[in-house]
Amino acid sequence: MPNHSRRDFLNTSWLGLGGLALQNMLAADAPLALKPAHIPARAKRCIFLFMEGGVSQMELFENKPALVKLAGRQMPKAEGTIGEIATFSAAPNRVIPPVAPLRQHGQSGRWITTLMPNLAKQVDDLAFIHGIKVDNNNHGPAVYHTLTGNQFPGSASIGAWVTYGLGTENQDLPGFVVLGDPRGATIGGNGVWGNGFLPAAYQGTIFRNGNTPIVDLHRPESLTAKQQRDELDLLKWMNEKHMGERTHTSELDARIAAYELAFRMQSKAPELVDVTSETEATRKMYGLDDPMSEAFGRQCLLARRMVERGVRYVLALHGAGGDRWDDHGDVAGRIPKHCREVDKPVAGLLQDLKSRGLLDETLVVWASEMGRTPFDNNLVTDKPGRDHNQYGLCVWMAGGGVKAGATFGETDELSVRAAGEPIPVRDVHATLLRLLGLDQERLTYLHAGRYKKLTDIGGRVIREIIA
Amino acid sequence: MRTWPFLAAIGLAVCAGAAPVPSVLTAKCGICHSDKTKASDFVVSDLAAIRKGGKKHGAAVVGGHPEKSPLLLMIKGELTPRMPLGGELTAEEVASVESWIKGLPEDKAVAKSDWRWPYEKPVKPPVPPLARNPVDSFILAKLNAANLKPAPPAAKRTLARRVYFDLIGLPPSPSELDAFLSDNSDAAYEKLIDKLLADPRYGERWGRHWLDLVRYGETSGLEGDGAIGNAWRYRDWVVGAFNQDLPYDRFVLKQLAGGDEHSRTRNNYAPDVQGHVPLGFLRLAPWDRSNLVADEVRQNYLSEITSTTASVFLGLTLGCARCHDHKYDPIPQKDFYRFQAFFNAIQVENVEVPYKDEELKRRAEAKIKELQALLKDGPDRKALDKMEADLLPRFRAGRRSTAATRPLNIEDLRLEMRRKDSTTFTPAERLRHAELKEDADRTLDAEEKKALDNYEAPLLARLKESTDIDKRFDVLTVEELRGELARSTSRIFNAEERERHKELSERIDTLRRRLGRWQPSALTVKNVSGPPNGPFIAPTHVLTRGDYRQPAEPVEAGFLTAIAGKPEPAVIEQDRYRQFPTRGWRLTLAKWIANKDNPLTARVMVNRIWQHHFGTGIVATPSDFGVNGERPTHPELLDWLSHAFIESGWSVKAMHRLIMTSSTYCQSAENGAADADNRLYSRFPRRRLQAEEIRDGILYLSNRLNPERGGPSVFPPLPADLADFARYGRGGALMWETNENEADMRRRSIYTFQRRSMPLPMMAAFDAPVFSESCDRRSATTTPLQALSLMNGNLVQEESQHLAALLAKEAGPERPAQIRAAFQRILHRAPTPEETDRFSSFPGTLDALCRVLLNSNEFLFVE
Repeated sequence: MPNHSRRDFLNTSWLGLGGLALQNMLAADAPLALKPAHIPARAKRCIFLFMEGGVSQMELFENKPALVKLAGRQMPKAEGTIGEIATFSAAPNRVIPPVAPLRQHGQSGRWITTLMPNLAKQVDDLAFIHGIKVDNNNHGPAVYHTLTGNQFPGSASIGAWVTYGLGTENQDLPGFVVLGDPRGATIGGNGVWGNGFLPAAYQGTIFRNGNTPIVDLHRPESLTAKQQRDELDLLKWMNEKHMGERTHTSELDARIAAYELAFRMQSKAPELVDVTSETEATRKMYGLDDPMSEAFGRQCLLARRMVERGVRYVLALHGAGGDRWDDHGDVAGRIPKHCREVDKPVAGLLQDLKSRGLLDETLVVWASEMGRTPFDNNLVTDKPGRDHNQYGLCVWMAGGGVKAGATFGETDELSVRAAGEPIPVRDVHATLLRLLGLDQERLTYLHAGRYKKLTDIGGRVIREIIA
Repeated sequence: MRTWPFLAAIGLAVCAGAAPVPSVLTAKCGICHSDKTKASDFVVSDLAAIRKGGKKHGAAVVGGHPEKSPLLLMIKGELTPRMPLGGELTAEEVASVESWIKGLPEDKAVAKSDWRWPYEKPVKPPVPPLARNPVDSFILAKLNAANLKPAPPAAKRTLARRVYFDLIGLPPSPSELDAFLSDNSDAAYEKLIDKLLADPRYGERWGRHWLDLVRYGETSGLEGDGAIGNAWRYRDWVVGAFNQDLPYDRFVLKQLAGGDEHSRTRNNYAPDVQGHVPLGFLRLAPWDRSNLVADEVRQNYLSEITSTTASVFLGLTLGCARCHDHKYDPIPQKDFYRFQAFFNAIQVENVEVPYKDEELKRRAEAKIKELQALLKDGPDRKALDKMEADLLPRFRAGRRSTAATRPLNIEDLRLEMRRKDSTTFTPAERLRHAELKEDADRTLDAEEKKALDNYEAPLLARLKESTDIDKRFDVLTVEELRGELARSTSRIFNAEERERHKELSERIDTLRRRLGRWQPSALTVKNVSGPPNGPFIAPTHVLTRGDYRQPAEPVEAGFLTAIAGKPEPAVIEQDRYRQFPTRGWRLTLAKWIANKDNPLTARVMVNRIWQHHFGTGIVATPSDFGVNGERPTHPELLDWLSHAFIESGWSVKAMHRLIMTSSTYCQSAENGAADADNRLYSRFPRRRLQAEEIRDGILYLSNRLNPERGGPSVFPPLPADLADFARYGRGGALMWETNENEADMRRRSIYTFQRRSMPLPMMAAFDAPVFSESCDRRSATTTPLQALSLMNGNLVQEESQHLAALLAKEAGPERPAQIRAAFQRILHRAPTPEETDRFSSFPGTLDALCRVLLNSNEFLFVE
């Protein structure tokens, strides 16, 4: 990083944290030091909204009149429509129509479910990709594939790659934050926000609900702030003396700085998660006034507060336990529920980012690990549900550098798979990186004899959705 | 790096952060090949881009070899089309580019054929004179050449701390340190090394290094992340193998060829079933059925073990050749599949392996008995049984009263059909119904359901006419009761009852898991049965682009061409009587690897040992000796050591002794500012403690480390509010258990249950590996999260109290004496007067002082 920009950063750091500590954390070999983008880009940060379980694309975003026409009838066996689809629990059978109608909205005339009236108002900001294919038809591997580029655990997650590529702007907070669904853990656990083969500094840090967002953030109750500060002062004295007697001290130096940063984090992180300072109107906009949308609303509001403070990458997870988007049964009961849980939060996030002028610098991504089938897989009860569909994933993006209102790809008339060439998930990854100014071919890490990259053999940047 | 004297003459276009490029290229080629225009994806703006090259020819320059560089060939017109299109460079311009390429450092990535060292058997080099230990001779030769001097010997107490952490992963106790410091004999240091090598904690430390490498984990890592079997048997075997100094060639042989050996004498020989424990190596990767096409799962499995076997034992990235010829190393794609073919007789299946160790056997048997008793009529079982017995009548009554409010339906019919004493339906009808119902439930097929519907329809009419159907609810079973209790929408049971039932069931479930972990089953693989009872081993094909759906030419099992010289099929070592054609395949491969003639096996292991002593290997990329890996800094030393290794009978402990008695190992970590990256070993490399050393070390210092060895893994508690977040997985399955005994949470970290989706946060923060891929080097990062963990985390908070209590007991009530004891115990030295002053005037408690010392760099780094 050229010197002048480092100085600028020192001056503009929201904490105004200066001096040696920061210099150390920003040293070229510090893992989270700011690094220049490969390519100029508008988006500086990313909020990745992950809907776990497999979102029904034809319920939310794809208008397929054929589903209504064929409702209750046997799935047609048209060549190329069903093909090799490996369903999870049952063979293709009766077609089920969407539980609520879709309507066209905005200038772009996008179809969107009437179950998401708030998101519908933002639809002109979104760019959609349809007919994305993942490599596996079950949740665990598909989640890994969507979030790490590899269906087996052990690879670096997208957030890890991005912070590895760009570093982070705010050294007082983690560069990559994970906002979990308070109802429970995600399939794949830490692996989906893990650093994989990258150094541990790039792993996602889980922010939990409650007063202790980060593991071990708070000093124990038995200590006062002054007592802990005294301990840290003594520690600093010890460490500086130790370092003074030695040569080749960059790692010793960095550790001294890390303690100072940790100390600051203790006050900055609780402030960050304290949403009481937000206005009533803002809280309402995110749906915090509705018990159904409160949880994800809070996650989305936190996501905004984080990108505002320079967190590089936020992964917000929705869906846990029996409340995933894994609607094998009772779509009629479940889809409206999921939609209500996320509609206001997501719409509020977009609107809020926009009104604060942040949307232009923030990439917002909506994804799931797979799509779902047009036909019922619930043969046991009378409440139909949809099966997994690894060919039907729909992703949208909004914000920095995204061509608002654009659409790329299309599924067939029953929304089983791409009507044309399927879009591999790595194309979405390549596009995401590109929008953040990273070139997938240059964002590499030598591991086990290969220059690993997020997109493995390389994806195609979907220029059709880039402004 | 060579100098480029001619560069000034031709002018340079220097990009920020990139190597200089002759200006003629940017001037004459940049119009079409700039960052913006990128014709044919080729850009000339900087060296990296030129090296990367364009779509058509790949790398445009080969450093040092203008004659092999497409860029030069194209501007000379020797490769068409001549560049620049429609123009021509002057002879001087061409010459300038040519000499520029000549002056470029050799590009490792393309100098494929030149890097033969890994495949050639090491020749034992003569030891350069100079020092008492041959290791030093090689090191000094290079230091002298670079005009550097080695560091002076380390202080004895520094050395003791180094050796303890290095060999057993724990600090010396004050009395151990005193014993060493007061032993002034010449042999004191050697005696210390021998003592520690004989200490069983040595295996727990060095076994951990091996577990990193073999992607040791205990769950599938995939859907649901369930336990995959008793992996701990393998872990204990590894620890034991290090402790017994099992010769490395046998160590390798057992992990690849367990259960695959022959008798030279006996007919119908049954291999030693114990061999299946080390064979766990081939089953440790994340793997499950995962709803994929079976062929794909199988191929993924074979690819994984093929790649990992080559990287772990041979230091080669064979995995790169799954889809295409290796881009850098001389490994054709065909070799990948020839290698894979040795594994083709593998059946993925756990095997029951009786406990051999008497002590362990006793422990296991007692445990099994105890757990079986608890499961049969322990307090939790009794409570659960009682609860279910109490609730069953209410369940039946509840269902009955719900049914009273609606007309009879098919569910009522199905209940009545299950009544043995039904007067409405005959036994024959009930039997027929049961068969049809079972078929429909099993298949869910429309035809079967229709058959059931058809059968049921007239019977439902009869049900409605019957008067004796009130007893139908008595057939409801405990299983159905449990189903009702699991429903969050139950109208029969309240939340409290459901919660209580869940808790009790969970306890029973935990007992069952514990029992399972003690059963003598081992996580492993075995051979398919094969002829005469079973089919022949399937042939192996090269797979186009690694895709299981695209088999190309068939191949036979064979060794790597680059080493064996010829791509001939291997001669499979079969049993004398040809009784067991699926046996001997893995054995043949294992014998080729665990062989003194294999140029890589010994070198790779010796390099790994060196790496764990010095932080970096002689080859810094320990699982990649190929072109893309780092070149050895001291190839002669590595070759010499690998000979010494083989001559010692592949003794790992002998290798420790050899390395650790060198002056190179014993030197100080301080030697001035020169040799910044220390690749010449002009000082001992300071290193941060690893996650396990920190956790185990702190518990050891507070005298609370539970020294128990081996057995099923334990569950140290998760931080309180993470526990709720992480406790339940999909379907509410318990992901993290509580320990049987409180003391279990203070076992050494190697005994922590390794759930792939859930590493302990403190361990993950300190760079413990994810357990999913082979990890050949851990990083040593510095992050604020590490600081938070040691400032506020339970471990340091709790142990600092225990430590303080211990010190107060030992040193009495006076603060200066306590401070002295604390420094001695934690930092292994006395405090300076200044430190005593400063610590004495500190207003906090002794706990606080212990915390400061445990957080200090002096504690967290070994030097």
